[in-house]
Amino acid sequence: MLIFKLISLIRGYVVIRLESNLEKTLNILRRKNIAVWDLEKNEKGIKFKISYEDYIKHADLINEINHNAREKGLIFKLNRMKFRKGFSLGILISIICLFLLTSLIWQVEVVGTNQVNTKKIIELLRENNITMPASLSKKDLLDIETLIYTNLDIFKFVEVYAEGSKLIIFVREKEPEITEIKSNEPSSIVSAKNAIVHKVIAKSGQPVVKEGSVVYEGQTLIMGIMQNKNTEEFIMVPSHGVVYGKTYYNFEMKEEKVRKISVATNRSKSVYYLKINGNSIKIIGDKDPYENYNYKESIINVPIVSKLSDITILKGTYYEEEIKEIEIDEKTAQNKMKVSMFDELIKKCSSDSRIVKSTINYSEDDEYYYMMAQIELIEDIGEKVRIFPITEDQSEDAKED
Amino acid sequence: MSRFNNFRSRLADELEIPNNALSNNFDLRMHGNKKVIIENHLGITLYEHNIVTIKTNGLNITIKGSKFKIEEINDYKVIVNGNIKEIIFHKE
Repeated sequence: MLIFKLISLIRGYVVIRLESNLEKTLNILRRKNIAVWDLEKNEKGIKFKISYEDYIKHADLINEINHNAREKGLIFKLNRMKFRKGFSLGILISIICLFLLTSLIWQVEVVGTNQVNTKKIIELLRENNITMPASLSKKDLLDIETLIYTNLDIFKFVEVYAEGSKLIIFVREKEPEITEIKSNEPSSIVSAKNAIVHKVIAKSGQPVVKEGSVVYEGQTLIMGIMQNKNTEEFIMVPSHGVVYGKTYYNFEMKEEKVRKISVATNRSKSVYYLKINGNSIKIIGDKDPYENYNYKESIINVPIVSKLSDITILKGTYYEEEIKEIEIDEKTAQNKMKVSMFDELIKKCSSDSRIVKSTINYSEDDEYYYMMAQIELIEDIGEKVRIFPITEDQSEDAKED
Repeated sequence: MSRFNNFRSRLADELEIPNNALSNNFDLRMHGNKKVIIENHLGITLYEHNIVTIKTNGLNITIKGSKFKIEEINDYKVIVNGNIKEIIFHKE
């Protein structure tokens, strides 16, 4: 009925008022196959609607029974516009202006980089005569992408697209290349962790620690500066070697004795929203119908309507859940804590590490199981760092200081 | 006419085909007590706020209640909206 009313609103309808001979008139209209709707009776008489097509077709008959017919609908409004030429022209001009202004791009937004690079991009666009407002076609957008990509070497990905009246430039910066130390470059080996030195194997370079030395993070283990025996000059060499150290890791873990889990009850309720341009209006159903629930959303596209406009129906389903408490036994809790401790340990130490000693103590109170552990490892603690010769300027500065 | 109509209705039942395909009987449907749809009618004989009488083949249907409004009427069907209290069938 709603669709029918909408169509009649567009195509036009006629409202007819009658004061007498109601039944007779209705039967005459029925016999002439004229559809009548919204028939209402009030103190003055009755009022009903017929389509404008039927009104034109049976104008003589309708004028005979009634002289008070009011025409309504979009078609009549448009017909009236014929006489108001200035107004119609104004609307037409404003629509054209609106269309032209909204099809232009007024603003540039750079996403994915810092302020300095944003300025560089905008400057580059200005240098190439791309200033706002501008009308840009798809080809122009591709050209801008190429322009940015070729002129600015700092980006590994550039995408340019127009969103409304905004030009969005989406960029992804190149990650700084990891500097690999070449085997022939002068370097030292420093400690990556606090440890007690267990073994030093130096293939080249000068070892500066012995077995049993306590070393701290950043401390030099094998130095890449050596004294030439013949000339007594200091020379820089690449350091090669492995330094094993004893490292200690402490862990404190706890696990709940009673854990709450949610279990589905197979009951569900749905709520429907009408989604227009990102805003949603609730149509059917209640929000939060259960105390504990799992909520899932799905979008239903309305045939034709969703394609032509941004109108969809959002269906949200609330699945009821019950909170249940389960007791965790001591052994399970201990195993779980142990597994998570080793997971953490693997992340912290190197792959060729070896466990020398592990001390694990368990305790518990009313709510939790606790685990305190100390793991002693032997691992490679060395980390190669490049060393540079001091330039003359730097040495002079140091002297002045 | 009426007896012949009844025969056609019985024949439709025996052949298990829709009744209105053979007989000339009216079809009445109700949505709660708010809406009545009558198909195959012959016109309205009375329309007031609290009473509507519709003529059909062999019978007159009187609907009693309040706040009646005729939502749609055409050659084939009539839809009456309102608070329906009573529906009476009587011969002409």
